[in-house]
Amino acid sequence: MRINDRYMWTVFVLPAFFLLILVLGWPAITSILYSFQPTQAGATGYTLASYKSLLKDPFFKTTFWNTVVFVSFSVGSHMILGLAVAMVLNSALPAKPMFRVIALLPWVVPDVVAGIIWKWMYNPIYGALNDLLIKVGILENPVEWLSNPKLAMISAILVNLWRGFPFVMLILLAGLQAIPRHLYEAAAIDGASKLTQFIYVTLPGLRKMIVVALALDIVWEVRRFGLIQAMTQGGPGILTEVLSTYTYKQYFQFFRFEYASAISVVMTVVLLMVSLPYIWMISQEE
Amino acid sequence: MVAAKSTLNTILPKALIWIFLILVCIYCLIPFAWMLSTSLKTEAEAFRIPPTWIPLEPTVDSYIGIWVRKNFGIYFLNSTIISLATAILSTFFGALAGYGFSRFLFRGRKFLIGFFLATQMLPGVLLVGPYFKILSRFGLYDTRTGLIIAFLTICLPFSTWMMKGFIDKVPEELDQSAMVDGCSRIGLFFKIVLPIVAPGMVATILFAFLLAWGDLLWALCLTSRENMITVTLGIARTVGEFRIIWPMLMAGSLVGGMPAILLYIFLQRLLVQGLTAGAVKE
Repeated sequence: MRINDRYMWTVFVLPAFFLLILVLGWPAITSILYSFQPTQAGATGYTLASYKSLLKDPFFKTTFWNTVVFVSFSVGSHMILGLAVAMVLNSALPAKPMFRVIALLPWVVPDVVAGIIWKWMYNPIYGALNDLLIKVGILENPVEWLSNPKLAMISAILVNLWRGFPFVMLILLAGLQAIPRHLYEAAAIDGASKLTQFIYVTLPGLRKMIVVALALDIVWEVRRFGLIQAMTQGGPGILTEVLSTYTYKQYFQFFRFEYASAISVVMTVVLLMVSLPYIWMISQEE
Repeated sequence: MVAAKSTLNTILPKALIWIFLILVCIYCLIPFAWMLSTSLKTEAEAFRIPPTWIPLEPTVDSYIGIWVRKNFGIYFLNSTIISLATAILSTFFGALAGYGFSRFLFRGRKFLIGFFLATQMLPGVLLVGPYFKILSRFGLYDTRTGLIIAFLTICLPFSTWMMKGFIDKVPEELDQSAMVDGCSRIGLFFKIVLPIVAPGMVATILFAFLLAWGDLLWALCLTSRENMITVTLGIARTVGEFRIIWPMLMAGSLVGGMPAILLYIFLQRLLVQGLTAGAVKE
């Protein structure tokens, strides 16, 4: 059997496509169907009951806002620190590869490991952080980083800053290196200050990278699970509970499959909306 | 006076940059130093007040303990088998799809590319519930096979981008001349294109390996027996125990994170391209 070369793409692309439909499409659709199923035993048909109880659930509301806070502060701080470190590493500097590796380290360990190291760092009695900050003179008394209700979310975000900024840095560094040097030289000859150069040369040159970094980072931070699960399991109370850990609990601790599916469907819709510009940009370019 | 001012103008920003860089390095490294230090302590010393930074009586007991008193050997074996099988499968299918996307223009190509991209955006929690039920129905709950299937959802789209990026760099004239010589598309893919992108394939396999290695969610939801769980789940379970033995947990975390640390450092140049679907080329 010979296939016209025009149609040979099917042989290459379709196996992966059907595999994805099988391992990903099928469960995804199953999950959507769950979310519309009635929860009472014996009841059939489809209902919006899960979505209605979602709107009434104060825990969902809190978890949703926790996620918004966690993601926006994480992503915002990733962008700022990531850009700052990328710009430093893009300048003339000795031992650049070494600094690059050091700055990448927090990103490469598994989520669980990151969560556990920080749980131990934050330990109010035996942990390193209080000891260090007291020695340096920043703190006078030990602080309960993860159990103080006012601090728990901030502490979690600080860990996530540590964990997530390296990837933004890598993307933006790649972007910075692609900006032609003569643009800066031309701007300097015209008398542009460093700040003006940053606003009119650096930022426009990085626009695409910033879109990519923002989209991917938002998606990853919304999905972030292992870090919180290992470090706080959503506590104290539900102060650091985010949508992914909440959904997990609904599934595997309370066995409310329909309800958990409804939460995850809401998450999916949000994530797809956030990443749409990115998906659009790449599929048009290719 | 003027000279002094201009030196100050050049020295001060330099100094600030160095201070900033050193602070960033401290921020990045201190948790690792603390992990290493704790892992070398005795259990009693880990609970000393104030904490010691350099162990008073350094010991490697914890590093022995995780293999002897805990089942780290089994966890490591499971993680290795599962991650490697996922990586090889996803890279193989990813290479095929990557070649298809790289070489052919066809109707619906943009849609398919968009589909592959969108699958990377789905949250794991959308899928774990159905997976639990589906795998249970087929007797695959709590098996390595079940996790391998599940990890394909993370690794396959990623491998496709990565392989497409490598195949894009192979000149298409090679394909054309091979076909003129009577070679079929499939033949030239296996005999000409794959050998050329072999280093890229190895990199893709290693990355997919690491994606699977670092997961917790899927392992937590789809396995439970002690002899089926992965390194990350093994570590996470230790945290849930009534009495946490921190030196051992830190030793376990360091050993469990080591493959990732070493491989990522080794592969960092290629990382950005694969994770951004080629939108960022280094």
